[in-house]
Amino acid sequence: MAAIELEGLTKDYGEVLANDGVTFSVERGEIFGYLGPNGAGKTTTIRTLLGLLAPTAGTARVLGRDVTDEDALLEAKRQLGYLPDAPAFDETATGREVLELHAAIKGDERSEALLELFEPPLDRPVRDYSHGNVRKLGLVTTFMHDPELVILDEPTSGLDPLIQHRFAEFLREERERGVTVFFSSHVLSEVRRLCDRVGIIRNGRLVTVEPVESLLDRSGKVVRLRAAASISREALAIDGVHDLETSVVRTGGDSDGEGSEITECTFTFTGDVNALLAHLREYRLLDLSIEEAPLEGVFMRFYGGEESTDAESKPGLTERPGGG
Amino acid sequence: MLELARYDGRQRLKGSLYLSAAMSLLAVTVVWIYPSFSGSFDDVDEEFLQAYPEGVIQLFDIRTMASLEGFLAFELYVFGWTILLGLYLAYLGAGTIADDVERGRMDVLLSMPISRARTVAEKFASLAVPIIVVNVVTPIVVFVAATLVGEPISAADLVALHALSVPYLFACGAIGLVASVAVDRVGIAQRLALGITFGLFMLESLLTGTDYESVGAVAPMRYFDPNAVLLESSIDPVHAGILVAMTLVLVVTSQRWFERSDIAS
Repeated sequence: MAAIELEGLTKDYGEVLANDGVTFSVERGEIFGYLGPNGAGKTTTIRTLLGLLAPTAGTARVLGRDVTDEDALLEAKRQLGYLPDAPAFDETATGREVLELHAAIKGDERSEALLELFEPPLDRPVRDYSHGNVRKLGLVTTFMHDPELVILDEPTSGLDPLIQHRFAEFLREERERGVTVFFSSHVLSEVRRLCDRVGIIRNGRLVTVEPVESLLDRSGKVVRLRAAASISREALAIDGVHDLETSVVRTGGDSDGEGSEITECTFTFTGDVNALLAHLREYRLLDLSIEEAPLEGVFMRFYGGEESTDAESKPGLTERPGGG
Repeated sequence: MLELARYDGRQRLKGSLYLSAAMSLLAVTVVWIYPSFSGSFDDVDEEFLQAYPEGVIQLFDIRTMASLEGFLAFELYVFGWTILLGLYLAYLGAGTIADDVERGRMDVLLSMPISRARTVAEKFASLAVPIIVVNVVTPIVVFVAATLVGEPISAADLVALHALSVPYLFACGAIGLVASVAVDRVGIAQRLALGITFGLFMLESLLTGTDYESVGAVAPMRYFDPNAVLLESSIDPVHAGILVAMTLVLVVTSQRWFERSDIAS
């Protein structure tokens, strides 16, 4: 039995089709990333799984229980942790009072260890919390009853880098313990660091579900370089270079004496980074950066850029390198 | 069970003490001015009642001012309890569910193993804190103040009146609760609850003595009569039962409604 099973899940708000026939499943013990741009329908799927929204059509099961059957879902919720995209707690209460309420309702197996890890200021009223602190408190309430399955909606937004790092470590340890993690994100780098498999949603439709490696092979990196030499476009016509843009800047004879040429190149690279570096060794580089491709760029490249792109005609899919 | 009710109840405790202080202040003021009023007129009732327009007398159900009981029934209980506290409980009731939904707290709450029906019931139950506190503190203050100004009143009547106001105030809170599940914006729910509660009060008061008097039967105010208790020591358990039944119907309606709605994000 999969931890989460969606079958043709549809949520129609009338003017917006927030989820359109979404089908996938999350296996037990994996970290599954649910990736998509803002407004793609990630939160709608998650809130349907929690029973907060009733699906217009299709079915969803969490830990084997139908989400539209409240009694059954309550059983699943004993083994479920959930962190919403904008977690909110009673503002007049202190963090400690919030934890006490959660402990009373769902139990507390290990809040002490979690508090050492995430350190929300427990004795202050939630009203005085920063966004990051609210999220830290949310992480404690999500994991304190030692759930089998956790659903996290954009879990790291608003966390400082140190805590983000701790959170990533923690999530890997949780997977080692057999916990299933389903989390949404619009940040590709976060997903690549943590996930085993990724589902991509766009405009309410599931575009693909695949292991994270194959997605990364296809998403590529953005490479920017500046070289104190002239580099022709042909010189960069190597495997894995896409969307190449070059410009040449001439610097007039300044302190160095004679004028020189600086070439600036930007391209998306989907090949082997070592091959690229070997290729670039013949040039004297002033600067080189290799960055994660922004998620929007991934969509533009592989699934067509137009908002109106529909599932039947994804022109980009045929040209994807590596074949997925 | 009742973890949520206990938690919400605790959060309401401070507000309830402020509320009781305010109502006690109103009570003390009313009791304190009574002797100087009654001392200024030879025939208190004649002169007082003539001074008020007929409509006001009907609206506030003014029976007599010739005794402290009659004066209290109007100045404190019809005005302070039936209207002010009734509206306040409707307002609090309207905040129970809608506020959590609007601020996104309901998502966290319902992610726990707690049903929607239970959430509604426990949040509603937490209204017991202001209702009980204000009905314990104020009668003691009234009794002591009345004794101090030399117009002692029956402790039994006072206790009965406050006991009967408990189901009345729960009924008003339940009106707010329905508004709270019907709309997911707390400001609108509160205005709706205040409007409906005040409308019911007007309906009941103004239709009394007309051909449409029976329409007023839907208003909880019909079943809470401070004059009857204070002036005639008359306690109607049927009325209390009707208020309890009204409350139950409204709470169950709210539960079913909330079970069927999508939680707005």
